[in-house]
Amino acid sequence: MSDTNRDHVEDAETTHFGYREVPRDDKEKLVRGVFDSVASRYDLMNDLMSAGIHRLWKRFTLELSAVREGQTILDIAGGTGDLAAKFSRLVGPTGQVVLADINDSMLRVGRDRLIDKGASGNIHTVQCDAQALPFPDNSIDCITIAFGLRNVTDKDKALRSMERVLKPGGRLLVLEFSKPTNPLLENAYDLYSFKILPLMGKLVANDEDSYRYLAESIRKHPDQETLLEMMEDAGFVNCQYHNMTGGIVAVHKGIKA
Amino acid sequence: MTQGHDPAVITAALAAIETSINKGLSLAPIAQRELAELEGTVIGIQCTAPALAITIIIEPSGELRLAHYSERKADTQVRGTLEDFAALAVSEDPAATLINSNLELIGNTAPLIALQQILSTMDLDWEAPLVDALGDVVGHQLASLLRALFQWGKASGSSLRRQLSEFILEEGRLTPPAAELDAFYSEIEQLGLRVDRLQGRIQKLAKRLGAIKP
Repeated sequence: MSDTNRDHVEDAETTHFGYREVPRDDKEKLVRGVFDSVASRYDLMNDLMSAGIHRLWKRFTLELSAVREGQTILDIAGGTGDLAAKFSRLVGPTGQVVLADINDSMLRVGRDRLIDKGASGNIHTVQCDAQALPFPDNSIDCITIAFGLRNVTDKDKALRSMERVLKPGGRLLVLEFSKPTNPLLENAYDLYSFKILPLMGKLVANDEDSYRYLAESIRKHPDQETLLEMMEDAGFVNCQYHNMTGGIVAVHKGIKA
Repeated sequence: MTQGHDPAVITAALAAIETSINKGLSLAPIAQRELAELEGTVIGIQCTAPALAITIIIEPSGELRLAHYSERKADTQVRGTLEDFAALAVSEDPAATLINSNLELIGNTAPLIALQQILSTMDLDWEAPLVDALGDVVGHQLASLLRALFQWGKASGSSLRRQLSEFILEEGRLTPPAAELDAFYSEIEQLGLRVDRLQGRIQKLAKRLGAIKP
């Protein structure tokens, strides 16, 4: 199946980069700049920003993946490799884990971390674009993309690309920031995101702008129901999502028919 | 959207209790080795009210993995309401409570018994990590559920296996005692021998009758 056969190819010449409208071709470069800047302290900042809760969100995502020994897993935007390390243990020596990221800096940090953890042998690192995955059709058992989809320029195209490479019956799990379900929580979350988060970025990583972008990009990301529709439009079936921490984060699951 | 508890909260609780158990196991190498023999065993605990599912998976290392969501088929499944689990926890006769209550035991009970025996020998604090993660009310409820399943054998000083077998034999009269079974098998054996002898006599008589006939 070709990506160009789908109906949802976007025509607009601009896209959002946080709250800014930028030419579509520039977004990838701008996102790369953000992650080049935060790569070395990415895990530390995640722990600080989420008070460690991101580990629980990922743990539940791992449970939903229901991976088994011998399977092939693709972790897109896998960054510093925390999910890949856990998948590596679950699929065992007969399985394969592909840690993919468009960003060279993140991938380097991830590869080094995995080697330091002793996770090797069944892990491959691939620098690639989620919108045009360089894998054969029907070749992957499970794809995860954790906190990565919102940085992709054309999300529909990326979802179609994921659907193409998944085996029939294979599953996609999208873990991403989403829309809080409680208005009070939303207000507190806004205050935290736009005031405290950039300040933390400035203090810990000396990079206020990148963390402001992270907060803005979360608000521009599709909410739970919209992302669910996008997955269905991309061809996934039995799509569902689980809200976590009051909807601040949601994990969407879809199965390739 | 799927309803129910916030998965992050339950995951936090299970991660806390998993850490607590595995820390205890790391200090009890014999228990860990015994658990490693049950590698790959999956035990499902399903609380129907309030709705909560926990899956316990025994890792090759002998450590336990607790999951809120699992698609693996459980070797043993225990199902009931929190009230049922709580009744088991405070019961003076847990085996009888287990048999008579609405708790359902499905599948192979041996791994559950083995796990219960191993965990009941460990001084695990179920309450603290769960209350820390979930707060007093829910944390205490979940701790009660886990304590009901894995700790009550310790207080009575006897194993689930013995209590269960005693109950099945003496109280429930669900299976006959071994002595009764032995006597029954012996009688069957005697009956078989007598039938063989009778058959031999019949053949002998038939031969004689054949010889008499002209």
